Amino acid sequence: MLSRSAQGLYWMGRYMERAERLCRLLQLQTAALVDKPVREIDFGWVRIYASIDRSPPFGQIQVHDEADYTRVDDFILAESYTLADDLTFERSNPDSVWSCFALGRENARQMRHCISAEMWIRLNLAYLRVQDLSIQDIWTVSPESFYAEMSAEMDTFSGVAASTMYRDEGWSFMQLGRLIERVQLSASLLLAHLDASKSSEEDSEADWISLLRVCHALEAYNRKHSVEARPRLALDLLVTDPQLPASIRRSLDMAAAELVAIGDGPDARSSDAARRLAGRLGSLVRYEWPDRDDLERLLRQIDRLCRDLHQRVSASYFDYEV
Amino acid sequence: MDFDKYDLDSSIYDEMFLTDGAPREHCSQLHDTLADFSAEELDGIQERVNRSFSNEGITFTVYGDEEASERIIPIDCIPRVMCGEDWRRLEAGLTQRIEALNRFLEDVYGEGRIIEDGVIPEDLVLSCPQYRTQMRGFSAPHGTWVGICGTDLVRTNDGFRVLEDNLRVPSGVSYMLANRKATKASLRRLYRRSRVREVEGYGQALLETLRELAPEGRSDPSIALLTPGVYNSAFYEHMFLAREIGAELVEGRDLLARDGFVYMITTAGPERVDVIYRRVDDDFIDPRVFRPDSLLGVPGLIEAYKRGNVALVNAPGTGVADDKSVYAYVPDMIRYYLSEEAILENVDTRLCRRPEDLEYTLDNLRDLVVKRVGESGGYGMLVGPHSTAKEREEYAEQVRANPADFISQPTLALSRAPCLIEGGFEPRHVDLRPFVLHGRKTRIVPGAFCRVALRRGSLVVNSSQGGGGKDLWVLAD
Repeated sequence: MLSRSAQGLYWMGRYMERAERLCRLLQLQTAALVDKPVREIDFGWVRIYASIDRSPPFGQIQVHDEADYTRVDDFILAESYTLADDLTFERSNPDSVWSCFALGRENARQMRHCISAEMWIRLNLAYLRVQDLSIQDIWTVSPESFYAEMSAEMDTFSGVAASTMYRDEGWSFMQLGRLIERVQLSASLLLAHLDASKSSEEDSEADWISLLRVCHALEAYNRKHSVEARPRLALDLLVTDPQLPASIRRSLDMAAAELVAIGDGPDARSSDAARRLAGRLGSLVRYEWPDRDDLERLLRQIDRLCRDLHQRVSASYFDYEV
Repeated sequence: MDFDKYDLDSSIYDEMFLTDGAPREHCSQLHDTLADFSAEELDGIQERVNRSFSNEGITFTVYGDEEASERIIPIDCIPRVMCGEDWRRLEAGLTQRIEALNRFLEDVYGEGRIIEDGVIPEDLVLSCPQYRTQMRGFSAPHGTWVGICGTDLVRTNDGFRVLEDNLRVPSGVSYMLANRKATKASLRRLYRRSRVREVEGYGQALLETLRELAPEGRSDPSIALLTPGVYNSAFYEHMFLAREIGAELVEGRDLLARDGFVYMITTAGPERVDVIYRRVDDDFIDPRVFRPDSLLGVPGLIEAYKRGNVALVNAPGTGVADDKSVYAYVPDMIRYYLSEEAILENVDTRLCRRPEDLEYTLDNLRDLVVKRVGESGGYGMLVGPHSTAKEREEYAEQVRANPADFISQPTLALSRAPCLIEGGFEPRHVDLRPFVLHGRKTRIVPGAFCRVALRRGSLVVNSSQGGGGKDLWVLAD
């Protein structure tokens, strides 16, 4: 297919994945505002910002004094309002929910002829919805239900895509974009979590539970281990489990399969290198992870190799010399 | 809701009503259905039509002072209905016209017989800015210069008139299809009972036309639609058509001309392209041949076309035949090439390059519509009856300075059709643009983009200037 179309679909996949992940994070974070201790809320914001590598609008997030929390309650709500606005509706934040929808939808608008009509309509409706809202609108009633509905919109989009889009190269590039984005987002979320845990005074089980919940992994964890959330077990599940839908391993295996389906680009050596890179990432997770203790280093390596894979895909299929 | 307050004016043809206020026979079903609807029901129908456009993202781009914005073209939910007999006449007239126009193009870029025989003045053709000397001596495959045209027609009390032949990169066909889809879904029972002829076949007809024009020996041609890009006002349509015919939607930067062949840049490397349905103007299509500063085009494309290795639809240079002065000679072309009288009449047109026409124009500015030859989209024209003395004076100044750049026509009483305006029925001026396809034979889908001047009293139907659209229903007999 046309390189530019493939590239547009690839980016559409990336933005939709990013929007989905962020909505999920914000859904749980705003739900936490109702009943969780101040420390957990602070931890959650720090983790979200670190995972997208962005500074909050007012500088560092102050970790509040637990003992004093009745006094800081109002303060933390006001702070959360600002942060949620920054992450949801801020036009100048390229990673905000609004921006992800706008960019994803713009890619789709330019590539409408390559996706199914049903996909376009879902996406356009979701975009029009975010377009018309502001933080005030969603904050007064229940911000978490807004984020839950947006997550549901994304799920519907994925479902509609799965049941209506022709499984051609366009599909493979869209999936590839989603999967590479998913692995990178997971790696940075885990790194942000480990980092925030280090600076947090207590290693709270609650933080690990919320991490598992963000990744739709809590139920799987409970069924598999039926013990309290232990860091190593949680990490292993999120990274290496072959059955967890969004585990890094599963995503990498699926990405590798899409690369095989796409086949060779104009320079077979280059596309072959892309497939090898995906394979290497997979074996890192499969064969090295279980025996290693320097998990942060491994996660950084996964993140770096994912960036390389993105470059390699671009060079092999989109931006080659003619 | 009744039509009691509907304003009828016997000097203006009404698409639904006879002058005595009775509905025309072919409109009676529509009339009765509309009359039976309550005001709320009508609002609901209009609302559904609007929503269908916004949900599907059917937009055109408007360029303001600061930024471009995506807008939704306003669509009136009440269809305009045409009887089968009227349509057949249009069809015959359009078929005749495109045949003559293609012969004319083949002739003026070739032998120039029509000039030699004194039917049309040489300098009128050669001085036309759309006459592309670069195409001289070229003979288009199958004689098809114009493969796709969108002819603007109006109806007056004296019958149909051709207002303009759009032979370069006409747009609007996606609205014909979108209007139909939205209107049909909102007026389901009426549509079913009315026995309306379908327009859905347009995509297939377009595809067949393009395939017919593929270079010899390319039995399964690869087709691309060339767009100036997402910032073009008609981008939605380009995307829509690419999807309808399963073509790749390409920009200049996606194509590559090498050794007389054209390739597109795909994920598997460069692949040969056989047919290009181009929606980029001549000027920008190939910087080696036309404007050298064009970034939208493909260097070497024209050479590949001239060698017969790729088909370009429409061919470069077709603009000479829809020039506003050359237009006046179309009935003569039909007589000259086909030995027939024109089935569809032109609007009586005076060319200010002729001294007697100039004098007449200047003397009657108040009653005439004066147009600049090179302009389109309703720009650069003077609508006499709607102008001030000062505007006329200034305009006359320009006409006197360059008479050859202007033509004048009587102000036409364009027909009107009922529209739903602020909850009531009001007449608005309409025109129609059917789309004519011509590969090795002519195909016309029974329908058109019907444009509406939504501002009260306005005659300007262009979507960039307050115009909207409505569906046109051609009835089966």
